[in-house]
Amino acid sequence: MPALKGSLTYARFFVDGDLPDDFRERFMKAIRLRAMKPLDPDEDALERSGFCRVGEPFETDLGYEDVFYNEFVNLGFRTDRWVVPGPLLRARMREAEAAYLAKKGRERMSKREKTELKELVSKRLRRQLVPAMRAVDLSWSLSDGIVRFFSQAAAPAAAMTELFQKTFSLRLVPEAPYTLAARLGLKKAQESAWQDLEPTLLGEGT
Amino acid sequence: MQLVDRIEKRRFVGREFLLWVWFESEIFEGTLSTKEHGSFGLWIERQIVLSSGKAEVTRIRGAQPATSREAKEALRLGKLPELAGLHLSWREQEATFVLRAEQLALSGLSLPTVLGGAEEDAAPAALEPARPPRRRARGKEDAARAAERESDEAHESFYERMRLTRDVESIVEAIYRDFLALRLGPAWGNAVAPALRLWAEGGEVDVDRYRAARSATGGDAVRAAARPDGRRPAHAARSPAR
Repeated sequence: MPALKGSLTYARFFVDGDLPDDFRERFMKAIRLRAMKPLDPDEDALERSGFCRVGEPFETDLGYEDVFYNEFVNLGFRTDRWVVPGPLLRARMREAEAAYLAKKGRERMSKREKTELKELVSKRLRRQLVPAMRAVDLSWSLSDGIVRFFSQAAAPAAAMTELFQKTFSLRLVPEAPYTLAARLGLKKAQESAWQDLEPTLLGEGT
Repeated sequence: MQLVDRIEKRRFVGREFLLWVWFESEIFEGTLSTKEHGSFGLWIERQIVLSSGKAEVTRIRGAQPATSREAKEALRLGKLPELAGLHLSWREQEATFVLRAEQLALSGLSLPTVLGGAEEDAAPAALEPARPPRRRARGKEDAARAAERESDEAHESFYERMRLTRDVESIVEAIYRDFLALRLGPAWGNAVAPALRLWAEGGEVDVDRYRAARSATGGDAVRAAARPDGRRPAHAARSPAR
């Protein structure tokens, strides 16, 4: 639970946009709507993300007190994904292909039949497996307009940004040298100097 | 220029910022200051990673990695710091973290002891004061009360962690603001870049002259001047000697 315990590794995002007047009620509804729904082996979705309680990936029934910590909105961003081990899938496919061909009295399968069989075998295997789960805490400081996302990996950050925007109708801007400079406030001359910046050369390799 | 270009094509500014922090920390003997925060200790420790687009990466670990000959050699080869472990000491508080230059992101931020945090939990049992044994919660009411108390403690601990995190971020932002005032003005080309080159080559930077030049040319903050009595601030005693 990086937000609540231990050392902190995170990426910051600046929230672009204003909070609506009734944001607490509105956000609560939107968060509940996008609370994590576990994957079902029989459905087509292979991956899904949603919100859970911060530090509690299995708590997806979210109440006001689970989410609002005074001026902070704290959530877990959970992603479930089916990961069927390749060797297992290949072995089961060989068995299924042999059974299918024996039943049909044929020696070869069409490409379409193979695809359909693979889908069937994958579904059967998924029923025996548990999806891989990843949960990352996020803490949104409403007063600062900053989201701290407790991971620096690009893929989960991109998925979180997308869900955040869908949920709250607010854009997230990742922190970078330019975005922090803009947030701190660049004067007109500085803005123009930024556009013309060239790297400072120190050594022979540059 | 599009926003994405302003972000992606100018990420090198983050590396220059980290380089400048390293430079100032070294020439000001681990003592920096900003208008908002006054004087504080900041120095590189544990690790520094330098790289450039075309050369191999230089990773240096140790108590004072930035003072190694290898680190300056990497600068002379055209590499710039990609990340560095930093030690921050302010108002009797200490924090360590790694700053990733191109994202300006903090990782492994280790905060001072906080309420109910892991740091407190990690205290050796022998050093902890004796406590009466906890009574087991009996009945639903006790369990509910215990859960509520636990939740309150978790909330308090979270607020404390965020307060300290904001303190650290606020100092880093203030330093960055001062850096920008220099980097986006004439002082960079006139005073800072020449001083950086001299320092990277192992030359002796005239600290007073540098300080005067950067103060005169518009940085919001003025670096901590030596005290009139010549003593270093209290936290400087903990910073590594040059």
